[in-house]
Amino acid sequence: MTFEEIRLLIPQYLSGQLTPAEKDIFEAQLNARPELRIEVEELRALWGELGSIPEERPSDALLAHFYQKLNAIARERKRVADGGFAWWKSGLQGLVRQTAIAVAVFATGLYVGRMNFGPSPGTQEVKRLDTEVQTLRQTVALSLLERQSATSRLEGISWSSRVEHPDSDLVSALLSTLNSDPNINVRLSALNAVEKFFEDPGVRKTLVESIPRQDSPLVQIALIDAIVHMRDNTAATELRKLTGDQEVNAAVRQRAQWGLQKLTYQ
Amino acid sequence: MESSTDSVLMKLVQAGDSAQLATLFERYHLGLFRYLLSLTRNRALSEDLVQEVFFRVLKYARSYDPSLSFPVWLYGMARNACFDALHEGRAEMTGSEMEEIRSSAPMPEEALARKQDVTFLQEALQRLPEEKREVLILSRFHNMRYEEIARILKCEIGTVKVRVYRALKELREKFCELRGEKLYDV
Repeated sequence: MTFEEIRLLIPQYLSGQLTPAEKDIFEAQLNARPELRIEVEELRALWGELGSIPEERPSDALLAHFYQKLNAIARERKRVADGGFAWWKSGLQGLVRQTAIAVAVFATGLYVGRMNFGPSPGTQEVKRLDTEVQTLRQTVALSLLERQSATSRLEGISWSSRVEHPDSDLVSALLSTLNSDPNINVRLSALNAVEKFFEDPGVRKTLVESIPRQDSPLVQIALIDAIVHMRDNTAATELRKLTGDQEVNAAVRQRAQWGLQKLTYQ
Repeated sequence: MESSTDSVLMKLVQAGDSAQLATLFERYHLGLFRYLLSLTRNRALSEDLVQEVFFRVLKYARSYDPSLSFPVWLYGMARNACFDALHEGRAEMTGSEMEEIRSSAPMPEEALARKQDVTFLQEALQRLPEEKREVLILSRFHNMRYEEIARILKCEIGTVKVRVYRALKELREKFCELRGEKLYDV
């Protein structure tokens, strides 16, 4: 290897991409040639400095547009798959009786076929696409909930409501947003979103435990209302603590008192 | 899902599961945006291209060979999309956009010396010829190996090797020039 060829290895040496054999050759030259050492040190400083250039980030609009388009594609695919059955449903209305009978006979044949051989490929395709749309919505919701911008997180909560059967990851993400999001509006929206899972004892427990963790009276009052709405009597202890704590905002204490009465007498 | 490899996700996309594209998008859109921004120097166009590239992935999913590196395939596609945009005249940067990029850097009078250096380095990087800037960015910021860069650029590994080295040398020259330093070649 000539000296010029050795010099060409400098960037790979700095990025740790040399093979062990190349590294041995390079380091032997490095020990033998002071001019190579100087060059390596100069370029090493520059290579390191490059790491301090701030990373450019795209706007939130990119994310929103991408997911809108992807969702539109998933919907379109589903529509096309659904279309395989639409022709006979809508066609019946405008056809003469004889054709209707023919179609009915054909539909009966389809039905019998389905009974004998299980769901048709069309039905399976629709089911698969339904699952795909749901997975996509959940992925979008989770992704948006992790964004820096409050608007994106609000959008994530909105997407979560479009998931028919959210899994535990999404519910946990919503609860975590409720507990720790820095933005009050986002926390309130997260509360609205998790309220529909009130039958889950874990969700109810988290909501009750969330009250003293909140620094916003607005969120605390919304949580008390949610708990009363759920008729969760186990929350009475927490509400009692709030009513007796003078550090707690007066409006919150008053609402806790109201909630306690509701839970006691309902 | 996060632990799924790119090729596993691409197999699912190939089978018609377009939702998996979202995971790939989450994994690669930031890096791809930076790469395209380095080529176009136009934020809006780079964002459009990122979207375009991912929908090309969906469209041409069947042409992907799972035994090959997904990022190489993706960046190659991004490069083509970028050149298509250049060809159509979409990639022309307006003066105000250039100003926006420059003004987003810290102002020398109000910044510390280190911040000033970063500004100079950004400027020096922008002043590199495109073919040098591209290889340097792929190598330094995307941690790509020369083999991968060569496949994206459709050139020899030796060409990449020479280009990265020269890019680094030229970057240093331009950086020192901007700092008002005299450069002594070794």
